[in-house]
Amino acid sequence: MDPEFRGDIDHHDGTSDATPGGYREKRRPGELAFALFLTLASLFLLYSAYGISGFEALSAPGAIPMATTLVMAVSAGIVALRTARLQRVTTETLSKDILPVTVIVFIGFLIVFGLALQPLGFVLTAALFLIVAIKVLAKRGWGYTLAVSLGSLVVIWIVFRVVFTVLLPAGILPEAEFIQFFRTLISKGAF
Amino acid sequence: METFLAILTVFTQPELLALVGIGTFAGIYIGAIPGLSVTMAVSILISFTFSWDVYPAISLMVGIYMGGVYGGSRTAILLNIPGAPSAIATAMDGYPMAQRGEAGQAIGVTTVMSFFGGLIGILVLALAAPFVSEFALTFQPRDYMLLAVLGILLVGSLSSGSMVKGIFAGALGIAIGAVGRDPLTFTERFTFDFQIMEGGISFIAVMIGMFGVSEALIQLQNVGMKAVRQKIDKIVPSFSTIKTYLPLSLQTSTIGVIIGALPGTGGDIAALMAYDHAKRVTKNPKIPFGKGAMEGLVAPETANNAAVGGAFIPMMTLGIPGDAVTAIMIGALFIHGLNPGPMLMIDQPDMFWFIIGALFTANIFMLIFGLTGIKIFTKIVEMPRSVIIPLILLLSIVGAYAVNNSITDVYWMLGFGVFGYFMRHYGYPLGPVILGVILSRLLDDNWRRAIISEREDLGRFFHGVFTSPLSCVLFVAVILIFVSQTPLWTAIKKRVFAKTS
Repeated sequence: MDPEFRGDIDHHDGTSDATPGGYREKRRPGELAFALFLTLASLFLLYSAYGISGFEALSAPGAIPMATTLVMAVSAGIVALRTARLQRVTTETLSKDILPVTVIVFIGFLIVFGLALQPLGFVLTAALFLIVAIKVLAKRGWGYTLAVSLGSLVVIWIVFRVVFTVLLPAGILPEAEFIQFFRTLISKGAF
Repeated sequence: METFLAILTVFTQPELLALVGIGTFAGIYIGAIPGLSVTMAVSILISFTFSWDVYPAISLMVGIYMGGVYGGSRTAILLNIPGAPSAIATAMDGYPMAQRGEAGQAIGVTTVMSFFGGLIGILVLALAAPFVSEFALTFQPRDYMLLAVLGILLVGSLSSGSMVKGIFAGALGIAIGAVGRDPLTFTERFTFDFQIMEGGISFIAVMIGMFGVSEALIQLQNVGMKAVRQKIDKIVPSFSTIKTYLPLSLQTSTIGVIIGALPGTGGDIAALMAYDHAKRVTKNPKIPFGKGAMEGLVAPETANNAAVGGAFIPMMTLGIPGDAVTAIMIGALFIHGLNPGPMLMIDQPDMFWFIIGALFTANIFMLIFGLTGIKIFTKIVEMPRSVIIPLILLLSIVGAYAVNNSITDVYWMLGFGVFGYFMRHYGYPLGPVILGVILSRLLDDNWRRAIISEREDLGRFFHGVFTSPLSCVLFVAVILIFVSQTPLWTAIKKRVFAKTS
């Protein structure tokens, strides 16, 4: 029984939820920088936790935050030290295995999605996002891209907006009228 | 009689029955699509059931949970990619079977054994939970605090990867949970004078970010991966096959329930331990372990489904989750105004028995859907990732937005998504973060209650810990886990071994 068992041998990148990334004996590109970042961030949070109530009392609101950030700082420090001692993986590079262009592009897409969600409304933003994302990933013709993205958007919209009654920003489209239309359709169908 | 009626609620209301069915179906298929996990499905779906009544919401979620734990085994067998942490052990013998062309048989046996394990887990839950919750009423605040610490530590230490990283992740979770105004004194904590941080960080945003967005981003690297078509036939196993493995499955179910019932340990550890057990007790397997032994499939699959019932015991009676998925389930109960803990059984016994009924129904649905619909299944699994990934990202955004109708939550979610992405790459477990966020409040409140009742005196606090057998056991367990990770432990081990040899 090997608890470090992974289905994927070539890419230790957590192909599924069950298989966490990282190697036991080596460090991946950027791993040390991340560990150092976590250490510094934990120390800053420890300082911030001290600012809540200091050493006023054991039951003070800052007691548990101070204890947890101390644990964070110490454990992050240990991880950083251990990582620093490991050898680098020679077969991986930061731009190929850790942060490829596609991932950066998609993080950008998501930020734009968030910015546009309220002014444009859910339907338009989601349509644009799906079209662009599927076009970029599938690299197929416009017919396929439009059919798949708009088709799935319609399904998602009906399921979440009408069935789950999730409130989504309406934006510039007259969404309420659409929903009313669907509701009348459903209630007519029921009787 | 009332208990009985509460269990039957699911069956008397067709709507609830349908929701459990849909949930189980969705769980099986989501768990079976490589790259989609149960944790992801449950965390995204919670936010959508926000506006629902409690009963339908729980029905759907229980179904997804039960189906997902089982569904994870399918990709483990067919593609050697466990769909859920609890299916890691299943891949070891399941995949070799599929390679030999016995995928159908492997899936069939897995289904029946999962059903069997699930049933035992639910039975134990129904019988044990009332006693545990009665016992839990005698718990002191310090016991709750110690239990919470123990749970987070166990998740951190037993999930694969390094334990120090697990401890870091757990502490990070507690810190995230502490952000905002302190509920007792109204002091600002980690708000950095930003007004938007005063209300705290929505744990749903953390959850969807960590399990939805980060996973979708990781999957971007596998977009080109082709789905492998496997030939699957003769899925329903013969009665004699099942009879052969029944004694083993009974043993491994027991392991599953017990491991599942410990706070902080869930299906993944139960499955690995059961696999280990099967290896020890099976003296002469027909096919060696690791090469496609049926025993190696039966053991982890009964155990991980039995662990579902087991994991509900600490969750319902103490409010302490067993693993990441149960942590999310607790979040779901919180959202719907329920407060898992010993009082739940006293205030709302109907709810408890309803959940038992829903679990039982989900288990039956799992058996039905597991043994049928293999044609649709192969179609769904072949869905291209280039479509699935954008859809997951879209659903994550909708989910994070829907809970509070706030765009801030969407940004929190994106932030934690990117952070979780790096955590995954560098082998930091994400489960303890969620457990920490969920348990942060319980830990903080109970620590303060405990220390105030001892008049802020640490000496009196420890006197209390050492004079109560329960607190003492919990405290020693926490210390042992910590010590086992320090150089001191290795030194002691070396000395002891040196003496014996």
